[in-house]
Amino acid sequence: MLSNITTTAATTAAAAAPSENVVFHLLAEYVPEGVPGWILPIVTASISVGIVIALISVMAMGFTWLERKVSGHIQCRYGPMYAGGWHGWAQPIADGVKLLMKEDLIPIGADKALFMMAPAIVLGAIFGAFVAMPLAPDFYFADVNLGIFFILGMSSLTTIGVVMAGWSSNSKWSLYGAMREAAQVVAYEIPLGISLLVPLIVAGTFNLREASELQGDFYGMGWFVFKNPFMLPASILFFIAALAETKRAPFDLPEAESELVAGFLTEYSGIRWSFFFMEEYAAMYLMCLVASVFFFGGFESPFTYMAREQFGPNAFITNVVAASTLIVKSIAGIVLMMWVRWTLPRVRIDQVMTIGYKYLTPLALICVLGAACWEAIF
Amino acid sequence: MSNSSTKSSTFFPEPRILPGGEKEFMMDVATSDLEISMGPQHPATHGVMKILIRADGEMVTAAQPHLGFLHRCAEKIGENVEWLQYLPYTDRYDYLASMNNNLGYSMAVEKLLGCEIPRRAQMLRTICVELNRIASALVAFGTYGLDLGAFTPFLYAFREREWLLQIFEKICGARLTYSYLRIGGVFNDAPPGWLTEVGHFCDVFEVKAQEYYDLLMVNKVFVMRTANVGVITPAQALDFGLTGPMLRGSGIDFDLRKDMPYMLYGEAWDAGAFEIPVGRGEMGTLGDCWDRIYVRVKEMTESLGIVRWCLANIEEGPVLADVGKTIKVPPGEAYVGIENPRGELGHYLVSDGGKGSSRCRVRGPSFCNLAILEDIMPGTLLADAVAIIGSTDVVIGETDR
Amino acid sequence: MDFQGIYDRLKEQGAAGMQEANLPRLPDPADKKDKGRGGDPYVLVDPAQICAFMDLAKKDERLHFEILADLSASDPAVDAENFWVIYQLLSVKHRHRLMVKCSIPKSDPRIDTISGINRAAGWHERECSEMFGITFNGHPDPRNILLPDDWVGFPLRKDYEFPKEYQGISCI
Repeated sequence: MLSNITTTAATTAAAAAPSENVVFHLLAEYVPEGVPGWILPIVTASISVGIVIALISVMAMGFTWLERKVSGHIQCRYGPMYAGGWHGWAQPIADGVKLLMKEDLIPIGADKALFMMAPAIVLGAIFGAFVAMPLAPDFYFADVNLGIFFILGMSSLTTIGVVMAGWSSNSKWSLYGAMREAAQVVAYEIPLGISLLVPLIVAGTFNLREASELQGDFYGMGWFVFKNPFMLPASILFFIAALAETKRAPFDLPEAESELVAGFLTEYSGIRWSFFFMEEYAAMYLMCLVASVFFFGGFESPFTYMAREQFGPNAFITNVVAASTLIVKSIAGIVLMMWVRWTLPRVRIDQVMTIGYKYLTPLALICVLGAACWEAIF
Repeated sequence: MSNSSTKSSTFFPEPRILPGGEKEFMMDVATSDLEISMGPQHPATHGVMKILIRADGEMVTAAQPHLGFLHRCAEKIGENVEWLQYLPYTDRYDYLASMNNNLGYSMAVEKLLGCEIPRRAQMLRTICVELNRIASALVAFGTYGLDLGAFTPFLYAFREREWLLQIFEKICGARLTYSYLRIGGVFNDAPPGWLTEVGHFCDVFEVKAQEYYDLLMVNKVFVMRTANVGVITPAQALDFGLTGPMLRGSGIDFDLRKDMPYMLYGEAWDAGAFEIPVGRGEMGTLGDCWDRIYVRVKEMTESLGIVRWCLANIEEGPVLADVGKTIKVPPGEAYVGIENPRGELGHYLVSDGGKGSSRCRVRGPSFCNLAILEDIMPGTLLADAVAIIGSTDVVIGETDR
Repeated sequence: MDFQGIYDRLKEQGAAGMQEANLPRLPDPADKKDKGRGGDPYVLVDPAQICAFMDLAKKDERLHFEILADLSASDPAVDAENFWVIYQLLSVKHRHRLMVKCSIPKSDPRIDTISGINRAAGWHERECSEMFGITFNGHPDPRNILLPDDWVGFPLRKDYEFPKEYQGISCI
């Protein structure tokens, strides 16, 4: 059976070059004769990037609405109820319009170029990370072999944007926020990466699509988290580290509105501010997607299994079911993050560091060791 | 280039010998303290107060509160208006506990007058004051959670406070600035059914108070943030003249309601209607932020006991003593300190027999409680500074008056 | 202890600078103009010896006034020559209060600070000095506390004239 999986993985990997995604195949069917060969990848890339940006922006807007609803219901109120009619579904659109209309302020003492570049870097990095994220066996933008490395690298880049924002704002609060962000991300990248090593040991691949497909046995329930006793603690460690990485409460120290006014966001307004906001939700979504892929079966579930049995592995409907499965899983993760945010107070910076260096990192190392031994023995 | 920067420009300077004989190698990086001005507009200062903080990285090395942004000349106004006219101004010092302020002023004038207050009026006063104390403690508790980054308790606390404000609205028509307790008694009798509703509130709130305690006070992260932070020793507390929960948080069992009883509190205490919660250093050191907020949360339940005792013992009767339309106060001077939610609210009134006071001094508890910040903030982290300010439960209307 | 007890104890201990006790009294029926005196009793203390007095009041075992509840001043109508500085003492241990009053001349309003004895006095004295123009000798931090640093005049004096403008901002 193991050999069976490896062969399928090998064949799919051989079949698809990194840029040959579903858009490429669709275009390839309709491309007229005589068009030079280099045009097709460029057009594919442009369209894919457009889809990523549109999809993630809409998703992030949806999550802001979800956040308000979740927080509202936790706090015994309703959250937005008016805009758009049904449970205020249009509230994020109204917010977006408002933010677009707002004056774009740049403080006098600010480093103008860095100040304007920071939101772009933050948002660009997080969108870039999504490129390596497969949604279904055939729905991917780029089939990157070292996908998880790429994603972690790109999502770390957002820190540079945040530090830039904090430095260039010429505000002490912003500077504090940026320094905290830098310290926190350095501390939590380690347990984040190490806890991800555990599923990587089990999967034996860095490619997210392949890792996801590996979990399709046992009627779609062969998730990594069930395959190794060290996976569950590793997933919890990953979740905690991801909270810190995405600046979510109780680790929202870079923003910390009651201490640092708004941290690195203090001097931002209007659309630039909303870029940071969008980044936060996109990063949450990204982390939850990674967690779903590497711990909780990716796009594999009994539904995906049934669809594959019914319609064949490469049918459109199978891919849709697979993509929905992954999205539902990651939204569950996001709701969990929101729940934590609206429940816990914020920890202090020294406690953040203690948790990161003293507890999470050694525990993650123990998990890696245990998982490796387990894999070697069984 | 100044001298100081050219003087030391080597990357590997001589190691500094520490007192223990250890060598400390330091890279020659010039660091300087950062001076940050927390406020006047800052979410943690609970109003318009400025705290100038000198910080070495995240560490606070010095702090200096700056007040006066909300100064409204209450004391000067007190000299220029008549006795009764000043009553609405008292609402505005500690706008979260207006009933208590009304009581303090009224009692000071009544002391000068030497008049007797009808028993039903005293009962109604006690009920209102204690309910207002609960409302004030709810704000303190909720905003303290907010200071530490926990949003949800704030909303829960305000839900209950809303009910209290509605109760106040029913008896006097106002939600925040009541002017209900006045010289000689209270403004009017309770409307029909009001006392029943208060009883109902007591029953519901007793459960809620315990719920809040479980929700926030024993939360692990909350304890991590508040225990051993901002410790005020009992000696320090007395030296700085702290009163109210700040004093009791440091383990000193002193409450004016119990120890120097005024109005009906002596009777209520003898009947066992309430106890005085005192900080015991349960989660960390005696007198830390946790103890102070613990005292406030526990006080809510004790206030319920007093309200219940009043509801059980209230009887029919007049609610306003006959003090005349224009109050004529004999010359003299009086100081009356009462237990406000934030400490001792003192009114020192001087009368020269005229229409109004010739000196109207207000001793705001927050004003005195704030003075200790300069002492306890150095050496804490920036986030602790916020926790400490929150634990003093300052109301700027009262510090600045 | 009641006021009489405190007063006797102070006398017994030879409290420095204590001049007299003033008690409230009922109006004299014979004198139509006399309205009596209401409120609280107080002791009058010589301002030059206030520090010694406060020290005794704080440290004496039977008095034990460890809290300085309030410190303020007054520009009394009945005494045109002097300011009153009023101290409110509170004992947590014995649960009693005492009002102490010092009378200082308006022409040269100065008095020693007691912030060395009771640190609570620090802020009260700052407020008092900016409002009345009383100088507290030896105060460690004699800045304004509620008023701006460049405020002219002492607002709580009876002869204070309200300014027409402050830094170009009309106050009327």
